[in-house]
Amino acid sequence: MRGLVLAALIAGLLMATSPAWAHAPIMGIGGVFGGVLHALLIPEHGMSLVALGVFLGRQQSATRRWEVMTFAVALTCGLVLIALVGEAAFAADCLLAATAVLGLLIATNWTPPLLGWLLAAVIGLALALDSPPEVGSTEEAVRMLIGSGLGAAIALALLAESAVWFRGTGPLIATRVLGSWITAIAILVLSLRIATRWATG
Amino acid sequence: MSQGLRCFIVLVLVSMPNVVFAHSENGVAIDFKGGFTHPIFGPDHVIAMVAVGLWGAFLGMPAIWLLPVVFPLVMAFAGALGVLGVPLPGVEIGIAVSAIALGTMVALAAKPPLWVAAVLVGAFAVFHGHAHGTELPIGADAVAFSMGFVIATGMLHLAGITFGALSRWPAGRIAVRTAGGIIAVIGFVYLGRSL
Repeated sequence: MRGLVLAALIAGLLMATSPAWAHAPIMGIGGVFGGVLHALLIPEHGMSLVALGVFLGRQQSATRRWEVMTFAVALTCGLVLIALVGEAAFAADCLLAATAVLGLLIATNWTPPLLGWLLAAVIGLALALDSPPEVGSTEEAVRMLIGSGLGAAIALALLAESAVWFRGTGPLIATRVLGSWITAIAILVLSLRIATRWATG
Repeated sequence: MSQGLRCFIVLVLVSMPNVVFAHSENGVAIDFKGGFTHPIFGPDHVIAMVAVGLWGAFLGMPAIWLLPVVFPLVMAFAGALGVLGVPLPGVEIGIAVSAIALGTMVALAAKPPLWVAAVLVGAFAVFHGHAHGTELPIGADAVAFSMGFVIATGMLHLAGITFGALSRWPAGRIAVRTAGGIIAVIGFVYLGRSL
């Protein structure tokens, strides 16, 4: 009888387990493609890329392309840093703060190019430092980092070029509302994370 | 079937069910759905946010989109203060007064300068944001919850704007102004309760 109870408990516990996901669940997909998906499917990263894309879409063509390049360079530097040093604890907070500022700039329809350069660099760096590859082998980690970089850079370039078409009155209003929502979400997430950190010590 | 086997099956089944989280520690579900339903299940918040949309529609361009842009921005800043435990006195009174004031503006078809409307809506958003912030569950899936929360707020504004669009027609104008009056009356009820 005790054997049966023990067997039942073990069977029950095994069946009750659930997978532990640090980030978005991309089961069975690794390597470069896993990295690309990692960059695109994390909600904070997606939100930051959309905000930066919309902001850059309002810049002059030449400025926009240089700012996308700035983002790509900062992203690459961040990925090299994370490979050498590891994850930076403050990166997620930095990313959210920069996203909140971007949302505010979109909502107010104020697009200073200088701030665009700075925010593109900060978001590129923070996004990379907040993308630690969660795999065992070094080779797999490098592949995922390359994928993360490619995914984020291509996504931003596409978003920025697509956002150029959202310049009419209706789309402009829609993006201004979107900007206010992005700022609101970023502020709430940041404050919830800080409060959770305080609560858990 | 032997008693031992039956006992085994019962024990396996008993130890199998997943945990059901109806609420978090603070009584609020902590995912996108929880965030989305959070503002919707507070009638005092709902009427004020719908009133913002109604008033925006009444004022026309650019208030129709500017007020719903101002509200979530200010609400989030005040919400952060609430989350971080910064106290704000008279929150419930402020929320009730917001329904009275915004409902009255719609009922009277008041058309103040845009900046006055924006400041008024922003000031009331402080109370709504702070109230939501203090109720937000610590340890929630912050991104999903906040997305749901902000989108639901936007949808409530949109509901108000959609209804307020009826004010293009004479009968619709009466309906919208009546809705404003009802919101103001409900605000008085909440004010009576909070005093």
